[in-house]
Amino acid sequence: MIVGEQKPLDEVMELLGDARKVLLAGCGTCVTVCFAGGEKEVGILASQLRMRSKLEGHAMEVDEVTVQRQCEWEFIDPLASRLKDYDVVLSLACGIGIQGMNERFPSTITLPGVNTTFLGIPEKQGVWEERCQACGDCILAVTAGICPIARCSKQLLNGPCGGSQNGVCEIDPDTPCAWQLIWDRARELGTVDKLLEIQKPKDWSKSRDGGPRKIVREDLVLIDEQTGD
Amino acid sequence: MNAKRRVRYVAQLLDQIGLEGERVAMANISSAMGAQFAELVTDTTERLRELGPSPLKET
Repeated sequence: MIVGEQKPLDEVMELLGDARKVLLAGCGTCVTVCFAGGEKEVGILASQLRMRSKLEGHAMEVDEVTVQRQCEWEFIDPLASRLKDYDVVLSLACGIGIQGMNERFPSTITLPGVNTTFLGIPEKQGVWEERCQACGDCILAVTAGICPIARCSKQLLNGPCGGSQNGVCEIDPDTPCAWQLIWDRARELGTVDKLLEIQKPKDWSKSRDGGPRKIVREDLVLIDEQTGD
Repeated sequence: MNAKRRVRYVAQLLDQIGLEGERVAMANISSAMGAQFAELVTDTTERLRELGPSPLKET
C-alpha cells in the first residue's frame, strides 16, 4: 500500500493562507489504513483547523468529506457540484489522489495535506516499513522474496556490502541488512545457488530514470464508438 | 498503557492548535488511594486555573 503521513499543522495553515471556506477531503483506501488521511483523520484535522483559525482570529469554515478513492474519476466525480462552494480543497489523499483532484477539477485548487512517503507494509500496529520502489523490473524471484532495491540502503544487486554488521545496516542500527535477510531466507529455502549468479547492472530505464511511466492494455481500452479509435 | 499514549497524542494535538497540552492529563489511581486522588484533583484544578478558561470560549 501507499504510506504517507500528515503534514505538520503549521505547514497546513501556511498552505491554506487566507482561505476561509475549506473542503477537507479524505481518501478511504491506503491513507485510511496508514492513519494519515481517512475519515477519522479528516475529522481530527478539521477540528484542529477550526480551533486554530478561530484562535488566530480568522475562523475557517471547514467541511469534511471522504471518498473511497481519490485516485479514480468515478469516486471523485460526485464532488464536482460541491467544489464551487469552497476557496480551496485540502486533500489528505496520497500524491496520486491530490493530482487526481487537480486534474479532474482544474478550476479548483487542491492542496496537499499529506506527505506521500513510500510503498510499504504495516509491519506491526503503528509501524510501517518500505517494501517496494516500483522499479518496474521485479527481481524478487532471485532475491528470496526480499527486495534489495527498496530495502538495501545502497540498492545493491550483489550484496551484502562491507557495511553489514551483525545483520544490521551501517546507516542505522534499526535497519536490518536486506542482504543478510536475503541470504538467511535463501539458505532456508535452499536457493542460495541463485544468489551466486552475478546480477548484471539493472535496467533503470524501467524505473523513474526512464521518465514518467505509463501502462496501456489494448484489451481493456474502451473504443470510441464515434471515431472507432 | 494505550490510553496513556493516546492522551499524550491528544495533548500534542492541542499544542499544535495553540491550546495548552497540559489541559489534558491522565493518572492511574486506585479506589483505595483517596488522599492521592484528592491531591491530584487539587493540583489539576490549580493548573487549569492558572491556564485560564479556553481561549476558544472567549473569541
